[in-house]
Amino acid sequence: MSFRKRNVGLSAGADRSAASAVQPAPPGVIPGIRPSPDDGRPTTSTGTPSLDNLLAGHAGLPMGKSLLIEENGTTDFAGALLRYYAAEGVVQDQKVHVVAVPEQWGRSLPGLIGTAESLEEKRSDKRKDERMKIAWRYERLGEFGAGVAGARGGERLIIAVASAPAATGEQDPNAKQPPAFCHAFDLTKRLAHPSITNMTFIPFTPTKDSPFPPVLSRLQTAIASSAPNTIHRIVIPSLLNPTLYPAESCHPEYVLQFLHSLKALLSAYPTRVTAMITFPLCLFPRSSGVVRWIELLSDGVIELCPFPHSADALTTSGAATSQEESPQGMLKTHRLPVLHERGGGSDQNVGQDWAFILSRRRFEIKPFSLPPAEGDTEAQDTSAQGGMPKKSDLEF
Amino acid sequence: MPSQPPLPHLLVPYLSDQTDSSLTLISSILGATSNWLVLRFLHAALSSSSSPHMPIGVEDQYDGKKRKVVLVSFMRGWEFWKSEAKRLGLDLTRLSSKQQFTFVDGLSELFSLPQNTKTRLPAQHAGAPARTALPLRSQSAVPDRMPPQATPADQTSSRGSTEPIAKKLHFSGHGITALNALGRDIQTVIEKQKISQDDEILLIIDQPDLLLASTGPSQAIGATEMMNWLTGLQLDVHSTVLTLAADSPLLHNASASSNQMANPTEAEHAAFSIGLAHRARSVMQLRTLETGAARDVSGVLRISRGGGWTVGDDNLDERELLFYIQRDGGVRVFGRGES
Repeated sequence: MSFRKRNVGLSAGADRSAASAVQPAPPGVIPGIRPSPDDGRPTTSTGTPSLDNLLAGHAGLPMGKSLLIEENGTTDFAGALLRYYAAEGVVQDQKVHVVAVPEQWGRSLPGLIGTAESLEEKRSDKRKDERMKIAWRYERLGEFGAGVAGARGGERLIIAVASAPAATGEQDPNAKQPPAFCHAFDLTKRLAHPSITNMTFIPFTPTKDSPFPPVLSRLQTAIASSAPNTIHRIVIPSLLNPTLYPAESCHPEYVLQFLHSLKALLSAYPTRVTAMITFPLCLFPRSSGVVRWIELLSDGVIELCPFPHSADALTTSGAATSQEESPQGMLKTHRLPVLHERGGGSDQNVGQDWAFILSRRRFEIKPFSLPPAEGDTEAQDTSAQGGMPKKSDLEF
Repeated sequence: MPSQPPLPHLLVPYLSDQTDSSLTLISSILGATSNWLVLRFLHAALSSSSSPHMPIGVEDQYDGKKRKVVLVSFMRGWEFWKSEAKRLGLDLTRLSSKQQFTFVDGLSELFSLPQNTKTRLPAQHAGAPARTALPLRSQSAVPDRMPPQATPADQTSSRGSTEPIAKKLHFSGHGITALNALGRDIQTVIEKQKISQDDEILLIIDQPDLLLASTGPSQAIGATEMMNWLTGLQLDVHSTVLTLAADSPLLHNASASSNQMANPTEAEHAAFSIGLAHRARSVMQLRTLETGAARDVSGVLRISRGGGWTVGDDNLDERELLFYIQRDGGVRVFGRGES
């Protein structure tokens, strides 16, 4: 009896459509915001699905938190991540504030090519076609693109939540598709979106004193005067880079006061503002105390270590299979938002070796793994000629 | 995993037994923050005696005296401490209305005042719309569990009532006078808290080193000035707990053995933290594992006697323990090789 009753409840079409009729327009649901599968706090996308997945099980950047992306060397991978972050904000109709760079920066945002899910589906279709060609032992490696955290095991929750909206959409064609959380962008195209004009650029005004307070007060007034449901993103490219920042800004007390006030601003609006900062490590090394304070004042700290160009030989061997792109650098997570605030260290993603690949359409972060002696083909050849023991000899 | 008691039993003697006018120093690094330990100190001092996890002997020492806490935080806001303390079963809002706890906010307005008074108004309303996202998720996953209208209304009303009572610090002016003004602000809060002479006040200052780093020698604030400032605060309270950043660039660049020149920030920080370690009764060091991250260990907690430890104070054993912070905020503390 009870079984039957439950069955009716589950399959009842009328019930479902009633629920879905309520769902499309619940008051106050903001596009681009979704609750964290870990603890339900609101999160927003960084514009890069695999970076979202890296952030300690929240599947996005929690609101009110800042992320510091440091980069070694003269490459601009961090800049690409920052552009995805800004572009995602533009597409989600959030208010994007860019500090220190001129407006040309906004014109170089990558073009929209659809939702992240649609790109993912295309890729997985392609992978299915190729499945037979890939040796079974490498096959799993490629799957990490689908969800860095998810594939690690024990994190199935993320996948479940991420696919839940899609699943309900399939079951009930009448239901309105929920707004996409993350989009895919193409670096070779330029973003053309009606709300791109909403971006604000905050330049430095020459002062004798600290150049930061005017910037902060502009951010404060912009956030305070906006409608209560507006979401803001603060984008700070290449912090302290001397081509963008006046010389006075490098005083430790000025920059630390600025970052402390930024932290205060983020905590004053815990559900409306996120910030992403990139920082050139070749100008300010991590071994310096001031840089450590900058890191301590950020909620998340990620370091990009691109492989030097001469290491091309190494990077090709770093590809799991010949079909996979080869990694372009290593990524280190030093601190993750929320997780480390609580004490940290218990996440599966911490301490893992990560590699990143930047292609035209995606910035992908996946576990770094060296395949078994792939680059060592010469040695394999010679040993084969020299009478490699046959497989039958090795069997016990 | 089973839920953990709010106070790990191995830590109870260190957390709840503060001798008179003692200083406890907690040092943290980038990957191992001290907030969880500060929360345990709060819990040890504030939780009611009926708590089953407290050994009976500890309570007897404080017979007839009321323990109170003043928490000064330069790195975290009120919302963070309130919500994290709630996970431990401490209602800080209720405790502060009972005059047992006071929060001093050194984050919100330390270096920048809000532009206008209206700023706070949208900030409070902002919580409501975004929070409705929460019931939405449970709606799609478990439909019909609760009427959808109930939860948002509930939350807004509860938010409205929890107006932070915190005193906000502001660094106005320049140099040592501004620092002393901050000190006076904190002292006023302590005085307000101290109703009778029997009250034992535990002062917790979360990262006063930020103040040193972000003002610095250019404003004539150095390690010596900060130490004097802290001494002034310590005089008014029963015992003090401080947290400091102890990352290696902040400490080791200034040492004579390092090859590079230390910049003033590093030199002052090193002098400040080493000076405090010499004054402290105990030093609790938090760091990550040297051998890399582990799945079931968050980091290492080393408890050692500081320079202020006196012979005969036998309650303080030196230990090195491992800790693991669970997803739910519970902490497991265990020795090496145990589990």
